[in-house]
Amino acid sequence: MPGADAHDPLLEVRGVAVRFGGVTALRDLSFDVRPGEICGLIGPNGAGKTTLFNCITRIYEPAEGSIRFAGRDLLAVPAHRIAGLGIARTFQNLALFGSMTVLDNVLTGAAAQPGTGIVPGLLAWPGATRRTAALRARAWELVEQLELLDVALLPAAGLPFGTRKRVELARALMAEPSLLLLDEPAGGLTHAEVDELGGLLVALRDRFGFAALLVEHHMGLVMGISDRVVAMDFGRRIAAGSPDEVRRDPAVVAAYLGRAA
Amino acid sequence: MTAVADRPTTTPAPRGRPVAPGRVLVRGSAAHRGLQVAGLLLVVALLVWASTWPLFRMGQLTNVFVLAIAIAGLNLVTGYTGLLSIGHSAFFGLGAYTTGVLVVQYGFDAMLTVPVAIGFCFVAGLLVGLPSLRIHGLYLALVTLAVGVAFPELVRRFDDLTGGAAGLVIRARLLTPPEWTGISRAQRGIWLFWVSAIALVLVLLLVRNLTRSRAGLAMRAVRDHELAAAAQGVHVARVKILTFGLSAAITGLAGALFAMYVGALAPDGSFTLLKSIELVTGLVLGGAATLLGPVVGAVAVVFLPYLTSLVAPGPVSGIAFGVLLIALVFLMPEGVVGRAQIALRRVVTVVDADHPALARTARDPGGPPEPDGQQPGPPPSTDEDQPR
Ligand SMILES: Nc1ncnc2c1ncn2[C@@H]1O[C@H](COP(=O)(O)OP(=O)(O)OP(=O)(O)O)[C@@H](O)[C@H]1O
Ligand SMILES: [Mg+2]
Repeated sequence: MPGADAHDPLLEVRGVAVRFGGVTALRDLSFDVRPGEICGLIGPNGAGKTTLFNCITRIYEPAEGSIRFAGRDLLAVPAHRIAGLGIARTFQNLALFGSMTVLDNVLTGAAAQPGTGIVPGLLAWPGATRRTAALRARAWELVEQLELLDVALLPAAGLPFGTRKRVELARALMAEPSLLLLDEPAGGLTHAEVDELGGLLVALRDRFGFAALLVEHHMGLVMGISDRVVAMDFGRRIAAGSPDEVRRDPAVVAAYLGRAA
Repeated sequence: MTAVADRPTTTPAPRGRPVAPGRVLVRGSAAHRGLQVAGLLLVVALLVWASTWPLFRMGQLTNVFVLAIAIAGLNLVTGYTGLLSIGHSAFFGLGAYTTGVLVVQYGFDAMLTVPVAIGFCFVAGLLVGLPSLRIHGLYLALVTLAVGVAFPELVRRFDDLTGGAAGLVIRARLLTPPEWTGISRAQRGIWLFWVSAIALVLVLLLVRNLTRSRAGLAMRAVRDHELAAAAQGVHVARVKILTFGLSAAITGLAGALFAMYVGALAPDGSFTLLKSIELVTGLVLGGAATLLGPVVGAVAVVFLPYLTSLVAPGPVSGIAFGVLLIALVFLMPEGVVGRAQIALRRVVTVVDADHPALARTARDPGGPPEPDGQQPGPPPSTDEDQPR
């Protein structure tokens, strides 16, 4: 298994707490993600999974705790620097650049790479233009790989839901992440699409070697492709371990039986 | 098309698959270059022809060019980056007064004041852009509106420099064209016509470069989804502030040229909120986030009032103009150029040469991709520029 021989965790979440007024979205949450592994993150609605993603990408500020990535204190890094460190994400409710073409959406995934200066842009400096050309070549590769070629020159806004999800995935891959945060990638997909997605994620992981933190309600998918699973409820970690261990964990069973129908 | 691929390696698309509906024009190809050169020659020919018109007509065109530059500046911040500014009259005014004051009070050569005006307006734009880091949408528009309201007051306040409410007259002697042009002082309209035409072409070239660069991509990403832009690594604050500065600098350049064009500045003349509204109107009519929208918009705001006053004389003309504006915005929310691009794309799509289907066809002697118009889906993006 990739990552089995890596000792240092890639992502270390330690004692993280987030409060919104009276609501405590996360409390004393701790877990690790190792390099190259797919780590499932499950929990009923409102468990705090998206909130955790927003802490890692520096949209929310935890009240307590620390988040370290590759040994670096993430909470000291501004939001726009996160991508450059090698963390890319997809959004639960899709956050594409609607008026931009699919290709441009994917290309924007490399915004952290150098060469976005305004002056080089204004003057079309050859250096900047060359770098853009190289990045475009990579963007085209990802577009082809995720079967987006037919829609590459259309604006993202009007595309079918499943297609837009693949655009987001391609955009995230464009950043060459070492950690990919996936917030319900199977949400809204058909049954067949979900199966294909599982195979695709594993294949992409094997090819690019990233670690993935996979938030998903689709149990078949998480349990099928995760190396490890962390379960949450009410902002707390209630279980962690192999998919089989977590599936049988009494606390997890209770959390799901107790709430979700 | 919604199926998710599970093939990890590159899948070659079926051969001959269409790149786009309709005909395809490859950017940088001989045909594309040819069209660009033809377009450029046409523009030069039109300008040369226009320079034989009576001075009054040329003056009108100069006014259009100056306004087009100002709107092109606004387009960067409002069109491409999505930050509505109703304060650009202040940058227009700052540019104009920089030129006016430096020429009249300090004896500068008029042309040498232009870079100074650009520099001042750039810095002013950075400052006005600061609030955009914290506040959004209409609230930001309100802040820029306050800047627009404040500018004429400032001019009145510093009246020993600006001449205050009485105005500032730049005497024709100070605006004499350089000797090498051989243009007499009385004919200085010709000189300004060419200066503004060349300035406009240069501004459009720079804007075109910028909007096609990755910096331009970042601007549009900020406009479409600020949070997602930051998650991709776009430095949202830097993009907003620098765009504001650049936008103000370009509108300030227009102001400097305007000062030479009118030769007399007054705070209540062309630097009130009405000017801002004129710029926004021109941008919307011509087409926000399009390269040539500002030019069409400038033509519209200069000439439409003439047209409506011909059709409906007297006070009715203002009403006719208003009705026409509303009708145009209803019929073409994307603006004239935006609409034209959508229509044009049904006929021909400009595709970059790095499109994989093209690269494959180039390797494969199967001929160019066949248009077959079977592509479903929404109208193409209004954001990409067509060749000129
Ligand atoms: N910006 C916010 N302001 C106030 N409360 C919030 C905010 N974001 C999240 N919450 C609350 O925090 C809790 C956790 O929400 P979160 O979106 O993280 O859950 P989730 O596990 O992602 O759920 P789902 O599976 O439905 O996506 C919820 O009670 C939610 O209402
Ligand atoms: Mg969620």
